[in-house]
Amino acid sequence: MAAPLVLVVLAAVTVRAALYRSSLAVFIAERVEVASPLNAWKRVVEGLALLDLGVSPYSGAIFHETPLIVYLFHFLIEYAELVFMITDVLTAVALYLAIQDFNKVVFKKQKLLIELDKYAPDVAELIQTPMEMHYIPLKVALFYLLNPYTVMSCVAKSTCAINNSVIAFFILATIKGSAFLSAVFLALATYQSLYPVTLFAPALLYLLQRQFIPIKLKSKSFWLYTMQYASLYLCSLVVIICLSFFLLNSWDFIPSVYGFILSVPDLTPNIGLFWYFFAEMFEHFSLFFVCVFQINVFFYTIPLAIKLKEHPVFFMFVQLAIISIFKSYPTLGDVALYMAFLPVWSHLYRYYLFYKKFLKSCILQMLHSRLRLCNLSSTPATVLRNIFILSCVLIFCSFLFPVLWHLWIYAGSANSNFYYAITLTFNIGQILLISDYFYAFLRREYYLTHGLHLTRQDGTEAMLVLK
Amino acid sequence: VCTSRFWFNYRHVANTLSVYRSVKRLGIPDSHIVLMLADDMACNPRNPKPATVFSHKNMELNVYGDDVEVDYRSYEVTVENFLRVLTGRIPPSTPRSKRLLSDDRSNILIYMTGHGGNGFLKFQDSEEITNVELADAFEQMWQKRRYNELLFIIDTCQGASMYERFYSPNIMALASSQVGEDSLSHQPDLGIGVHLMDRYTFYVLEFLEEIHPASQTNMNDLFQVCPKSLCVSTPGHRTDLFQRDPQKVLITDFFGSVRKVEITTEALSLDQNVAGFESKFPEEELATEPLKYAEQLPVAQIIHQKPKQKDWHPPGGFILGLWALIIMVFFKTYGIKHMKHVF
Repeated sequence: MAAPLVLVVLAAVTVRAALYRSSLAVFIAERVEVASPLNAWKRVVEGLALLDLGVSPYSGAIFHETPLIVYLFHFLIEYAELVFMITDVLTAVALYLAIQDFNKVVFKKQKLLIELDKYAPDVAELIQTPMEMHYIPLKVALFYLLNPYTVMSCVAKSTCAINNSVIAFFILATIKGSAFLSAVFLALATYQSLYPVTLFAPALLYLLQRQFIPIKLKSKSFWLYTMQYASLYLCSLVVIICLSFFLLNSWDFIPSVYGFILSVPDLTPNIGLFWYFFAEMFEHFSLFFVCVFQINVFFYTIPLAIKLKEHPVFFMFVQLAIISIFKSYPTLGDVALYMAFLPVWSHLYRYYLFYKKFLKSCILQMLHSRLRLCNLSSTPATVLRNIFILSCVLIFCSFLFPVLWHLWIYAGSANSNFYYAITLTFNIGQILLISDYFYAFLRREYYLTHGLHLTRQDGTEAMLVLK
Repeated sequence: VCTSRFWFNYRHVANTLSVYRSVKRLGIPDSHIVLMLADDMACNPRNPKPATVFSHKNMELNVYGDDVEVDYRSYEVTVENFLRVLTGRIPPSTPRSKRLLSDDRSNILIYMTGHGGNGFLKFQDSEEITNVELADAFEQMWQKRRYNELLFIIDTCQGASMYERFYSPNIMALASSQVGEDSLSHQPDLGIGVHLMDRYTFYVLEFLEEIHPASQTNMNDLFQVCPKSLCVSTPGHRTDLFQRDPQKVLITDFFGSVRKVEITTEALSLDQNVAGFESKFPEEELATEPLKYAEQLPVAQIIHQKPKQKDWHPPGGFILGLWALIIMVFFKTYGIKHMKHVF
């Protein structure tokens, strides 16, 4: 499988190099959808220039990168394009390896559950086979590298790519089972943009599962392992923060980076939900609403952890999506990261085809007048129902972003409401996409354990509904 | 100053431009003329002959052209700007062409035309200047010694009311009509569709056509220029504030710019004055070569400048700590046994 991956990597690098040399590079670099105040390349250059002049880069309100990024780019600023291309390639390779391992784990677990007879007898089509899963890692790498969002984010040289690569390495480390490395990478990711702290829960759940420690609140080994992992994570975080103190000999970076992320002072329009609200809010209420919005990001962890404790990697995917929708300065680079995972769950709509075949055989057997409890409803029973509409919504909104931006800022014939409408639609599309996947995933799990034909107590057919 | 705008006030613009042309012909340069016009005639979409303003029927004389320098155009012709020009209370950023740079030896001619009434003159259909304001402006000019003698000509309806309130010395005023009378326009041009001139100004210009820079015609002739038979309204004038006898005041004192030039054939030596100046310099200045412009920006040096060395380096402790951590993590995950592969 290495050769197709190399081919994909080469293709991606070519596309990016071609775009760097073209005139689109400048245009894309200025787009607010890919460059937010947190990760714009212009601000990195400005911060480093300030440093050369002897001024702390955090003294203005321009620079919001962490000192480790300062250190990285201090030496690599002339090769910035290469750095970003290599970062993207590393992310894709990390995701590839991670998903390869994950497939092995999934397959092993499936085999175990079949042997233990946990599955209902008629779910043959729902079981994943290695043949289907063979190409998933390549598809994941492909989805990440050739996603237009990633390409634009790379051409804009937004440091979101670095954040994505750290998260990808974190996922790789978690799936390989190394608690120490995963704690270190999670600490790095949190250090850079604070929100990945919510990925602590899925990582913990996955590692517990891997160590075969049951997740019961009374179990001592559960608490022991949790404490170990948490202390690894917190220690590495503290060490990294203290180390970055020594770069500039000041704690200036803490309000500039974390204070900025949490208190959202800069209201430049982006694809998120914060800017419009806070632009029109009275000062009196802004603290309250900042707290509400930030809690919104972190809040979904607990219910999802309770519901998805058996499926931590799916939990990680949903959590990544929630971070990239609800964070304070989202960009298209964040969206690209969780979209890379979509091929992993492609089996959720694949068996719709199998189900159609089954439906046809049902009808044939009915015609042969054999009594059979067959679901004759024309609606697809277990499937990702809205994928076509949602992908259309997302693509359409992506095209409308620059159009309405131009109408608002340059032509003056629209106003911020237009742009915010598209932002809202885009986010709603993303949320519906995630909830669709969530619904289909849970439905599939339910069917696996309870069989494809659901019957109520009185024998009539039933349908699963997400409440 | 032409104080009206819109197409049907074509004649006011033509009036002003004709007087401008005469005054320029008689020798006053543009730097000494402040011309305020709405300037919406030549390029008006209703003008059948674009880029022209005619002052005589049958389109004999185009008074617009390349050498008309309008100082205040369109919406800049306001009462405030007019009074600021007169009194000199102008923001420091105003260019010289928009200023009245007169001193106490200057004779000033002010010609105003437009729509007026008893005691006021309408500016651009939105505001008025009253005769009291004008009188006070002239008094300010007198107190600041901004004029030696001032000739004020006004061609509007009831124009005489505008000079009733003057009280500063050395002002002579002429108006096209008395209080209660209307000034009438002279002749329409059927090709353009509007009246091209006002009567009073038309006859004043006919009179000025015969003036040349050396003529000795005096003010009394100007007072007689438009009798009632030709002008229908009764022109008026006011000379009581003027200290000289109008008989002795030449037209060219106000309308032309006559410089007294003496031609001499003797050679004057200026050596004594120059020597006095030069003795001051050597102590104050260093002897430097005068730099030419190109030499001040040595292009070759700028092109071949090397990029500035970066002045900031991360502290050694930081680099040490960071790499130590990275190596520790590496060996923790992969074990010490890999060290022999690394080295």
